[in-house]
Amino acid sequence: MPSRKKARIAMTSITYAMKAKELLRSLGYSCEVERMPKGLGSGCGYSIIIYTDSDVITALLEKRGIPHKGVYPA
Amino acid sequence: MNINFDNSAGTFPKPESVRRAVANAMRRYGGNPGRGGHRLSQETAEQVYRVRKLAADFFGAEPENTAFTPNCTYGLNMAIKGIMQFGGHMIISSMEHNAVSRPVYSLTRRSGVKCSVADLCGDPERDISVLEGLIRHDTLCICCTAASNVTGRILPFREIGDLCRRRNIAFICDCAQGAGILDLGLKDGIDFICTSGQKGLYGPTGTGFLVSSGRFPLSTIIEGGTGATSAELAQTPFMPEKLESGSLNTAGIIGAGAGIEFVTTRTPEKIRSHEAKLCKRLEEGLLSISSDIRIFDADKPRAPIVSFLLPGESSEETAQKLNGAGFSLRGGLQCAALAHESLGTISTGTVRFSPSVFNDLGQTDRLLNVIDGIMRKKKAH
Repeated sequence: MPSRKKARIAMTSITYAMKAKELLRSLGYSCEVERMPKGLGSGCGYSIIIYTDSDVITALLEKRGIPHKGVYPA
Repeated sequence: MNINFDNSAGTFPKPESVRRAVANAMRRYGGNPGRGGHRLSQETAEQVYRVRKLAADFFGAEPENTAFTPNCTYGLNMAIKGIMQFGGHMIISSMEHNAVSRPVYSLTRRSGVKCSVADLCGDPERDISVLEGLIRHDTLCICCTAASNVTGRILPFREIGDLCRRRNIAFICDCAQGAGILDLGLKDGIDFICTSGQKGLYGPTGTGFLVSSGRFPLSTIIEGGTGATSAELAQTPFMPEKLESGSLNTAGIIGAGAGIEFVTTRTPEKIRSHEAKLCKRLEEGLLSISSDIRIFDADKPRAPIVSFLLPGESSEETAQKLNGAGFSLRGGLQCAALAHESLGTISTGTVRFSPSVFNDLGQTDRLLNVIDGIMRKKKAH
């Protein structure tokens, strides 16, 4: 998945989505929590919408031990 | 209204901020958190996460390792059975509440779990030696209280945490009487902090926390809808949703968050110091009324509780007389038969005085006057 500005990152749970949002906002990045749209992922998933290079964001999440399930176009 | 000196059973009154938070939650946060993408659900989820983070910070944990429970007993059952449900050996102390002793007893009867009860005397060195001597090759955990709900005796939980780390076994700690009063957290080597939200944390009834170090995965004892991994029949495998099947008590949780903020602002040290002052006043007063009044664990480090017994009557009789005079104190066994066996008070129980931050010396002196009156009547007869 190439990096893009606006993107959706699928999260494993609402708790991790909230944790990610708190982390990213504390670092000055815009971030929103949204339900995963139908057809993306499986089950009742949550995602975060980001407005920065997704590689930067996923690297930050991984560094803080926040799991995610993939990057999608938003 | 009675003056409440039974705060170990549940602090009351509650701080104004807690009352406001619950009322506000009932007005504003009615969505089911983690169960939808709409605004009501999201806004409630934000609040629930905020409290999760508050509780996690309070105990030095990660938010995802901080699960909400309906009370301390549920947390203890989830931790004990989550570690022990497939068998093995565990150790509990002789000062345990039924919230520990009953699930353990049930496991020994139904699941072949073996349990040793450590007879702890209050000397930390000896107590650790006793606990260490009971560890076997198949021991999976030590489960004990941080402070007895009967006498307030503080168990050497930091040393027990060290012992468990050294021996690579889990430490489940009943923090119902310690949280909000004692400086305790995961830093003390505890793997599972089980506590109520409605006691020393000043939250509403029906709230509790199970805080994990993350070192030992728990098997679940309750499964169901978690809002995550919904397409799978298997229970959600990750924390905290794994332990939070079914709808959460959102109003209670939001109130519990206000309680934690209240305690954090006041600081547990100052709260304990205030309550200890009232306990000291009561103890000195009781001894000046009569040397026949027995005070239990008086010589040991304690959370702010005074457990006493008047001569010639049961604790229930005394508690009833005090209730008639406008004071709520708990008589009987305080749901801790094992601790009373250990103290030699299983037939009489004890009267438990447990103040909160909202009690004062004037109320304590008035209680002493009533007890003095009871003792004078006894002498006159």
